Amino acid sequence: MAAQGRCPGCGSAALVEDAHYAQQQLVCAACGCVLAEGLLTTTYAEEVAYSQSTGQKEQLSRCLQRGIRRVQDLCKVLQLPRVFEETAVSYFQRALQHPSFHLVSLEKKELLGGCCVFVTCRQHNWPVTMGTICSLLYAKQELFASVYLSLQKELELSVPALSLADLVKTHLNSFRLFQHTADVPARFVEDKEKMVARTMQIVELASETWLVTGRHPVPIVTAAAFLSWQSLQPAARLTCTLARFCKLAGVDLPPPAHLRLKELLEILLRMASQLAWLRVFNVDKKTVVKYIGDLLQHRIFLLKNAFCLEDGEKQRAVAPGEGSPGSPPAAGGAAQEEGCPSEGKRWLKDGPRPLLPPCLINPRKRLRTAAPSPSDSAITGDEPISDSEIEQYLRGPEEIRAFRKAKAW
Amino acid sequence: FQDDLSTSPELFSPMSPYDVDLPIQTTEDVLFGSQLNQPKELPTDFSSVDLSFLPDITHDNKEQNLSEDGHEMQKELDGSISRNEESGIFMDESSLSYPDTTQPSPEASGTCPPLTPMTPMTPVTPASESSGIVPQLQNIVSTVNLACKLDLKNIALHARNAEYNPKRFAAVIMRIREPRTTALIFSSGKMVCTGAKSEEQSRLAARKYARVVQKLGFPAKFLDFKIQNMVGSCDVRFPIRLEGLVLTHQQFSSYEPELFPGLIYRMVKPRIVLLIFVSGKVVLTGAKERSEIYEAFENIYPILKGFKKAS
Repeated sequence: MAAQGRCPGCGSAALVEDAHYAQQQLVCAACGCVLAEGLLTTTYAEEVAYSQSTGQKEQLSRCLQRGIRRVQDLCKVLQLPRVFEETAVSYFQRALQHPSFHLVSLEKKELLGGCCVFVTCRQHNWPVTMGTICSLLYAKQELFASVYLSLQKELELSVPALSLADLVKTHLNSFRLFQHTADVPARFVEDKEKMVARTMQIVELASETWLVTGRHPVPIVTAAAFLSWQSLQPAARLTCTLARFCKLAGVDLPPPAHLRLKELLEILLRMASQLAWLRVFNVDKKTVVKYIGDLLQHRIFLLKNAFCLEDGEKQRAVAPGEGSPGSPPAAGGAAQEEGCPSEGKRWLKDGPRPLLPPCLINPRKRLRTAAPSPSDSAITGDEPISDSEIEQYLRGPEEIRAFRKAKAW
Repeated sequence: FQDDLSTSPELFSPMSPYDVDLPIQTTEDVLFGSQLNQPKELPTDFSSVDLSFLPDITHDNKEQNLSEDGHEMQKELDGSISRNEESGIFMDESSLSYPDTTQPSPEASGTCPPLTPMTPMTPVTPASESSGIVPQLQNIVSTVNLACKLDLKNIALHARNAEYNPKRFAAVIMRIREPRTTALIFSSGKMVCTGAKSEEQSRLAARKYARVVQKLGFPAKFLDFKIQNMVGSCDVRFPIRLEGLVLTHQQFSSYEPELFPGLIYRMVKPRIVLLIFVSGKVVLTGAKERSEIYEAFENIYPILKGFKKAS
């Protein structure tokens, strides 16, 4: 401000910096002409950001600000594109304004931020599992689940299903098997592209044979990765167990993975039984791994032959050619699925079993409540109630005395 | 106590059966609003009113009780139209009728129409092919107002079939054997009855609980009986590709295998929530009337059939 040496009005050099109330002004001492007015700035910094000076941030509550920061941090940790961050923040703001989320605990609000990030990722088909978000937030899965569901309901968000193919790629990224290190001997190191491709094929096979629907996706991917890794170099790796594989790879072994592995091997064995040049080999669940490559190559043909189809007519058409016990029991056209499971155990070694989800193949014995009897349906709701019936539910005086003494009521 | 929501874990109670904060004024029913007129003359004769829930008492007490109850009834009628047993009766009848048919109009404000026995409803078979499968009702949740303050400790002491643990839950849990049900009885006099397999059974059970409370010495009434939730289940007998269903019906479906093995389908008309599983079992919940369950199943069956063929 003292740069200008002369007053434009009178030409005097006597320029003074004066304050008119709180405003700094450069004034000519001779004629009083104001040369320059001060900026509306503090003494700390020259530049003031728009958001700081307009009180935009102050309009947001501190809780909201903190939540937004958490959402942004989460996006940065997951290395998400910038667009995701903006969407997630907008969801979060919408959600917090909603009456059902406005007054929940701070813990839940933090989870709400995680849910918004999760929803954004899923809507853009970016594969991230709830487990990942929960571990980043140190959250309990049940609490996260309930917050997620209420968020989905209240904001009426439609969240597309998780794409398993993408999940395979991201999950395998975290496997530490693609480079030789001190823990991972050379014979266990595998080429990433090959392993990803084969794991995808096995996961697709699992999906076609009803092993995926209704189940948690991660154990399936883990089991499939294990099988594909083993099959790429069976000689060296057959002796390695699933648990050791996960330890080598540096990933958690989810408990259902063992069951998924068993189911996958069963499917592969059935397919192997249909492959002509394998029949001589007496393949069992340990050795079938060696032939996974071939099985995957011919999987369409093998699936068709190894499993009887659900459609009764198609089944009968295939049966004469196969010579296997294909025709359904004569119990008049009862659904093929009903006929097959009951005979499934007999067919285990003989011929094709029906292609059904495991819960239908091995139904757990459940107490089935009887269908309402005719006498039940005659109840009107206004029958007279006898005294004796009610009195059976009341305690006698001695009983009451005894209880009083025992419980000291 | 267990609900018969056999396949859904606690997590998934989209309709929490114990919504005891529900206002017990039943007739938000627009169906009745216009037809039930404010009674011009308040009835003084209650001889035709159903009083079978009252205890069997001597002649002297009977008249006294009757007049006392009459008084109460009168007060109720003064207040809102809806808060008497009549609405309960009309509610029962309404569950038999379809939205298009006209509602039976009340004959006189004070008298109750004779109660018709409730026959189980058969679902309407439309001209197009119906599924041939009838969902079976598994659980009915109903509420009733006993309209008197209750001493829960007293009840738990004097009743064999009651449990009361105030530190865990602020209500007495009572059970009866026939119909096999469970009731939650609160100190305010409100009661929730669960576990019945039909609307009539639920009402009978609720009356029995009210009787028990009466026999324990409380002036319990039986006001505003209302069915709050009905749960049904059935089996379509073929496996279902849930991943496909969630793709084509995204706006209604929620399928999160990480959380729950079933697909949650929120049907808009009727407003029912369906849990659909890969095995072909379907659970329907959220209904206030039996017809809603049947209608919802008839709506979903053709959709599910579309996913019958495996890839």
